Amino acid sequence: MKKSIFIVLIFSILLNVSCNTDETCTQSKYVKLTAGFYHPHYNDTTKVLTVTSLQIDSLTVQGIKYDTLTHKYHLIDSLLFNNDKSKLSSIDLPLNNFATQSMFRFTLNSVVDTVTIYHTYFNNYLSLECGCLVTHSIDTVITTHHYIDSVQIKIRDVNTTKVENLRIYNHDKPIK
Amino acid sequence: MRRIFVYIISLFLCLAVSSTDAQKKKQIIVPPDSTRLFNGFTVQLDVASLASSALTNSSTYSTEGALQIDLKHRIFPTLELGVAGANKTTADNINYKTNGMFERIGVDFNLRKRKKDAKPTNNLFIAGLRLGMSNFNYNVTNVVIPENYWGAGDPINYMNQSSTKIWYEIVAGVQVEVFKNFYMGWTIRDKNLISSDVTGKVAPWFIPGFGLNNGTSWGFNYTLGYHFWPQKKNAKNNKVFIDQKKINKQIINK
Repeated sequence: MKKSIFIVLIFSILLNVSCNTDETCTQSKYVKLTAGFYHPHYNDTTKVLTVTSLQIDSLTVQGIKYDTLTHKYHLIDSLLFNNDKSKLSSIDLPLNNFATQSMFRFTLNSVVDTVTIYHTYFNNYLSLECGCLVTHSIDTVITTHHYIDSVQIKIRDVNTTKVENLRIYNHDKPIK
Repeated sequence: MRRIFVYIISLFLCLAVSSTDAQKKKQIIVPPDSTRLFNGFTVQLDVASLASSALTNSSTYSTEGALQIDLKHRIFPTLELGVAGANKTTADNINYKTNGMFERIGVDFNLRKRKKDAKPTNNLFIAGLRLGMSNFNYNVTNVVIPENYWGAGDPINYMNQSSTKIWYEIVAGVQVEVFKNFYMGWTIRDKNLISSDVTGKVAPWFIPGFGLNNGTSWGFNYTLGYHFWPQKKNAKNNKVFIDQKKINKQIINK
């Protein structure tokens, strides 16, 4: 009887000591929109449209922010991609966590386009350790058409799951 | 600090358990009547939670008491009531605050079998079950939305959130009569939540009476209790009656 009491006692002490709370957040909080570049090619003779992945020779991406005080749009100083020549075929972009519009200035092979993404944002409370996570749902995308021909929304939900949300198609011959 | 507290408690327990035999010799043990249904009740106070809250820099506190009824000295229906709370601030300055009451209802069973020739004892080796419930309000404040390329925003406050949690506990422990009617004991508890968090709702960090909201939790109670036994005065007469029986038997044998 006495032995069993001591065994249970020691176990309870070990458990009590080992049950310290872990305050580190292990959950992923990486939320970014993924956009892939594609090149459509329509064959007149076979009348078949083929779409191939496109690698951008030179890419610069910069955010454009709306200033509520001056009521003007201005470029954000820091660049998301600065003349990147690593032949990217897809990129991750952060959406604005505090507005329903995120505007980007793309310089694709020296041709400039502006892409505006309208989205809804949701504040998701995770836990005391992790805090809040902001996810988005893409409503519409508007673009200029200098290098970019069109933008297709593939998956509207932007969250911690890495999926291709947008497809950016280019022209056969860019309009300058 | 937490470890020091645990060592103090364990030392205290060891002394209490080892000194039981010595106390047995000194005290007059009135044997429990296992034929009687109602053998009184014990009022208990959990000092482990009290001392833990006072000694450690823990961001949580808890105070609880219990009422334990003795039925046939085998079955012990138990009601536990308490108050607990938390005021926790994380490294990111997110604050969680709650205060709430909790109640547990359950039953303990005395697993100690008394040998025929053994001395009568009020000491118990118990195992049992509890069903716990707490309805409480809580605030989660200063939740900062992670800053990204577009800048930072104002923190969010989730005020007056309410929740009701139900859980069950598997309990094991000992209870020793250290002085006449004065009991000391401890229990360890394996706690398991029955009700889960609603998706999309701000989940509580701490549940009064249960602990951290992790689905399962361990608990340790160290109780001091006083046994009220209105019929105890008559027990001496019972003892005399048993002795008289023995004498009668001896006379018949002769």
